[in-house]
Amino acid sequence: MPHLDISRRRFLAAAAALGITAAVRPLGQAQAAMMPSVVGQDPGWFSGGRLRYRRDGMAKVTGSKVFSIDIRACDLDGWPQTQSHGLTLHVPRADRVYLGLDLSVLEPDLMPDVLIDAARVAADKVAMPEASFYGDFFLAEGQVPPMMGQPVALGIWHDYERFRAARKKLQFRTEIFRFGDHADQPARAPYGAARYVRVGGDDPRGRDRFSSMQDTVIWPDLTTDGVQWPGPEHPAFGDAMRHADEIRDVMENPPEGWRVFSGQFSSQSVDPAAMEMENGLGWYDDGKLHVVGATQSPYSAAHHIMDMVSDSNFSLDDLDFVTGYTVGYGQKEHQPFPYYVALAALYGQGRPVRLMLDRWQHFQFALKRHPFSIRTAFAVDSEGHFQIMTCDAIGDGGGVMNFSPSVGTVAVTAAQSIYYLPKSDLSVEVHPSTGVTSGSMRGYGTLQTMATTEMLVDEIATEMNIDPVDLRRRNVIKSGMKNTQGAVPSGHLRAAEILDLVAADPLWTDRAERKRRFEQENPGKRFGVGFAAVQKDFGTGAEAAVVQLEVTPEGRLQMRHVAAEIGAGATTSQMLVAEPFLGRPVDEVEFSVQDWPQMPLHTQDEPYTTSQEDEDRLALDPTWVPRFTSPRSASNSAYYFTHATQQAAQMLLRIGLWPAALSIWGEGASGGQMRPEPVSIDDAQWRDGRLVARSMEPLTLERLAARAHRDGHITGVCVHTFNRWAWAEADFDIDGQKIRAPIDALSVRWGQGASASRKASMTDGGYAFIPRSKAFYPPVQRNNAGTVYYAPCASLIELAVSTGSGKVEVLQHKTWLECGTQIVPELVSGQMQGGLAMGIGHALYEELPTGAEGPGNGTWNYSRYHLPRASEVGVWTQTGHVLPALSDDDPPKGMAEVVMIPIAGACINAIAHATGHRFYQMPVTAERIKEVL
Amino acid sequence: MAERISFSAVINGQKVGPMDLPHDLMMVELLQEYLNLTGTRLSCGQGVCSACTIIVDDAEKGSYTVPACVTGVAWLNGKSVRTIEGIAGRDEQGGPVPSPIQRAFLEHFSFQCSYCTPGFVNGATVLVERLQRQPIASDQVEAAILEALDRHICRCTGYVRYYQAVRDVILSTPGLTTDGPQFDMVARQEVTQ
Repeated sequence: MPHLDISRRRFLAAAAALGITAAVRPLGQAQAAMMPSVVGQDPGWFSGGRLRYRRDGMAKVTGSKVFSIDIRACDLDGWPQTQSHGLTLHVPRADRVYLGLDLSVLEPDLMPDVLIDAARVAADKVAMPEASFYGDFFLAEGQVPPMMGQPVALGIWHDYERFRAARKKLQFRTEIFRFGDHADQPARAPYGAARYVRVGGDDPRGRDRFSSMQDTVIWPDLTTDGVQWPGPEHPAFGDAMRHADEIRDVMENPPEGWRVFSGQFSSQSVDPAAMEMENGLGWYDDGKLHVVGATQSPYSAAHHIMDMVSDSNFSLDDLDFVTGYTVGYGQKEHQPFPYYVALAALYGQGRPVRLMLDRWQHFQFALKRHPFSIRTAFAVDSEGHFQIMTCDAIGDGGGVMNFSPSVGTVAVTAAQSIYYLPKSDLSVEVHPSTGVTSGSMRGYGTLQTMATTEMLVDEIATEMNIDPVDLRRRNVIKSGMKNTQGAVPSGHLRAAEILDLVAADPLWTDRAERKRRFEQENPGKRFGVGFAAVQKDFGTGAEAAVVQLEVTPEGRLQMRHVAAEIGAGATTSQMLVAEPFLGRPVDEVEFSVQDWPQMPLHTQDEPYTTSQEDEDRLALDPTWVPRFTSPRSASNSAYYFTHATQQAAQMLLRIGLWPAALSIWGEGASGGQMRPEPVSIDDAQWRDGRLVARSMEPLTLERLAARAHRDGHITGVCVHTFNRWAWAEADFDIDGQKIRAPIDALSVRWGQGASASRKASMTDGGYAFIPRSKAFYPPVQRNNAGTVYYAPCASLIELAVSTGSGKVEVLQHKTWLECGTQIVPELVSGQMQGGLAMGIGHALYEELPTGAEGPGNGTWNYSRYHLPRASEVGVWTQTGHVLPALSDDDPPKGMAEVVMIPIAGACINAIAHATGHRFYQMPVTAERIKEVL
Repeated sequence: MAERISFSAVINGQKVGPMDLPHDLMMVELLQEYLNLTGTRLSCGQGVCSACTIIVDDAEKGSYTVPACVTGVAWLNGKSVRTIEGIAGRDEQGGPVPSPIQRAFLEHFSFQCSYCTPGFVNGATVLVERLQRQPIASDQVEAAILEALDRHICRCTGYVRYYQAVRDVILSTPGLTTDGPQFDMVARQEVTQ
C-alpha cells in the first residue's frame, strides 16, 4: 500500500528536495472575480448568540462559485481569460486486444488540437503515480484493457465550439476504438485478504484465549494463483489457523442443542453518484503548474502530481494546487482523476485546460462501492445465545486496486454488527475484475456485511420463534465486552438502550394488528415491518489534526483549522465547539488550512507499519509525530477534529485566560477579592458569556483578553493531536507549569506585553514551539484493534408490497441513533435523513452490473440507474430519535455512515415480513419480488 | 460546422444578445461557458435529475421550469429566463437578500453539498408562484410539493429538510392556501369591524 495520507510538511519537504516551490490552498484564496456571497464573507450565519444557518449557506443557496466544477480560468487571479477543453476516451470493453483509435469521424476540422496517448506520455516519461493503486494513464496499443472504461487517450481542443461538436460526434460511438482478437485477461493477484480469529475466554471482558488484538491478524500470501491461506504449521499464523479450523469444525458438528444458521448473500456494485462529476482545471506555463482539483485528499493529489511531473521530461519549478468544495461520499478520495487534469495541463500548449467527465463517463470511470459475496453463519444455543459467528466475504475490487485491501478488512471486522460473539472466524478476500474500480464509498464495506448479518439474524429469530428484537437483546454487546478483534470498544455501549426503546415502540408492538388491518383495507398489497440495528466505527486508526486558536486584544476569537467542507457541515460545527471553554463560538476562522509554520513537525507518515521499537525511538524527538493531518473521510470530523478544537480551546483557557482571570481577581491590597476564597481552574465556568468561578466577579472575554495581552500571558495556542484507537498524550512545561494533555505537540503565542525574550522565541509563524518533555503514544499493537469507536443506530420500517407489480411503497420509518453530544442537531438529522435515503437506494433500487453490461461500457446514466426520489423514502412520514448524551462531556461521534446501514437491512426484513420470502441478493427490486410472488 | 442562430433573451432581467451561437447549443452550455453563470449545475445531461432547473417567465402561462441541460438555446430564443443567480435580491452594499424559499432552505439546514440546491430553489419558487395564482387547500400542500419536486434528485439530504422548508413557506405565506393566513387575516378584520 503506498503512503497515501500525505502531510503538508512531507509534501513541502519533498518539494524542496526536488527544487520545486509548492502550495496547496483552498479555492477562496485563489479566486478573483467572485460572486458577492462567497463562503466566509457572509456574517449572517451566526448572530445574536445563535446559529442561524450553515456558515457556507448563503454562498450555496445563491449559486455562488463554490465547487471546483464552477471555476473557469477567468475566475482566477493571473490566469488567461479562456481555457481549452479536454476529453478522455474510454474503451467500452475489456475482452479484446486494443489496436488503436480511429477518429476519422471527426474529419479534419474537428480533430483535437492535441492528442495524448500511452505512446506519447511514455515518450515524455510521464507516468501515473502509484500506478498499482491508481491504474495506468492510458492503455497501450496491442494490450488487453485491464477494465472496461480504461482511458486510452485524451484530446484537447482549444475552442469550446469545436470541442463540443467533436464530443457530440464521439459520444457512444464505439467504432472509434479498434479491437483485435478476443483475449483473456492475464492472471492478477488478489488485491487483499485477511482473517480475524477470536476465541474468547470465559469472561467476555477478560483475557482472550486468542484474538487479533492480543495475538495476530492472519495476512495470507497473495499470488496470481489466488489467496494462499497459511496452514496450521505456519510459523506466524499457525496458531490462528488452528483456532480457525477448530471453529469451523464446531460449525460443521455443533454440540447438542445448538443450531447453525447460514446464509449466502450478495451486495451489488453501486455508484456513489456524487452530483458533481469528476472535474478539474489545469494550466502549465513556463515551468509552473496550476491545478484546480475536486478531491477529498488534496495533499496526496498534489504530492503525486509533483512526483509525476518531476520524473518526466517536463520541467517543474512551481506547483499551485487549489481545492474547491467538492462532494464524493468517498468517490473523490484518492481517485485518479486529478492526475488526468494535471496531464491535460502539461499538454495544453500553454493554455489552461478544463477536463470534466459527463455523467455517462462518470459512471464509466469514477470509483464505485465494492460488490461483495458474503457467506455468514451463526451457531446459536438453545437459549438463543450466539456462540460462534463465521463470515467469509469475497469482494470485487474492479480494475485497479485502490483502497480494496482496507475496504475488505473494515468490511469483515464490522460483520459482527451489534453482537457479542464468544468465538468468531472472519475472513475476507478482494479480487480484481474488469469492472470499474471500486473505492472507499460511504460505509467502507460495512454496509455490505452488517446489513446482511442483520438479514440473517432476522431469519434466525423467525426460525427459532423468538421476537427479532428480543433475540438481539439477548446477544447485544455490552460495555467492556470485546469485539471480534479482541479490542474493548470505547466508553459505554448503548445499542441495548436502543433495543429497549424499539421493543416498546407501537410500530413494533402493534405490527401484527397493523398488518392485518392494512391488508384488509388494501387488497393487492402486503404489509411488512422490518428492523435492523448496527454499530459503525468511525475514524481510520491514525487520525491526526492541527488547530490554532487565539484571542485578540479586543477579545475576538480567531481559529485556523485543517477541516475541509464536503457537505456534512464540519466547518459550521467546529466553530461552535469552542463555546463551552471560551464562552462563545469562534468569531473568525480559516478552514482547509494547509500551511502550518506554527507547528514545526516532521513525520514518516507510516502510522500503521512503524514497529514499536522504532516508534519509541522516534517519539523521543518532540518534533516527530506519527502523522501530520488526515484527509476528510471516515466520518472523522465530529470526533477527531472536535477533540483537537476542544483541546485548543481548553488549553487557551487553562494557560492563557485563566492566569489573566487570576490576575484580575487577585489585584489590589492583600490579594484582592480572591484572597478570602481561593479558586482553581476546576471552578471555572462560563455563564452568559462571562467567566465565573465560585463567587468571583464575572469577567467578559474582552476584559480577559485585554489583561492577557497587557500582562504578556499566553494568548494563542496551536495543538496537534493523534489517535490510534486511543489519544496520544504528552507532558509539557509551560510558563513554569507542568501540564499533561491529550495532544502530542503544542505551540504558543504570548500577548503584546510579553517580554522581549519571549517575543524573540516566537519564531514559528509567530508562535513558540514548546517541546514536549515526554510523549505517550498508544502502542502500535492497537492497529490490530480494527476499531474501538462505535456509533449505534437502528431503523424500523413499515412498507407495503404490491402483489401485482412487486413495487415497494415505504409507508413510514423510525430511526434511533446514539452519537454522543450533538454539536449541531440540525446537521445530525440532515445526515441521518440523507443516509436513510442512500440506504433505501441500496436495498431497493441501485444496482450496476459487473459484467459487459456494466457502467464501464459508457451507457449508464440516471435514466437507468435509479436513485431514490422523495416519494420513495417516506419524506413526510419518517422520524429520527437521537439518544441524549451521557454527560456534558460525552464526545460527539462520527455518524454520517452508520445512519445509512440499518435501514437497508430493515427494508429487506420488512419485505420478508410482507411476502414470507427471504431475499439474499441486494437490491430487492420490484422485478425480483415479482418473481417470487 | 453546425448550423447557427442569432440568440437573444432576457436572463435575470438583463437583455442578452444578439449572440451568434451553434443551433444545437444547450442552455446550460450558454450559461456556463459563454456567460460564466455556473450556478445552474450540470449533472445528468439528459433531463432526469433536475439539478440544472431554470425558470422561464411567460406572460400568458406564468412561470415554469425547464431542464437547462436538454433545453436548447433555439427553443429559449426570445424568452425571459431566471437562473439561480437572479433569485436573491441585493441590499445597498450589494450583499444577497435571499428569497423566501432561499431563506427557508437556509434556516431549515435543507442542503448539504448544495450541488442540487439551485434546482430546488427554482423548482420551489415556481411552485410558490403557481400557488399565488392558484391557491390550494392546506391539506393538499404536501402532495403538491411532492408532485412539483419529486423529479429533483438529491444525494445528500434525503429531501426531508427541503420539503419541510417549502411547506413552511407555503403555509405561512398569505395567499398560497385557500384556508391559510390570508383567511385568518380576513377573519380578524371582520372581528375588528
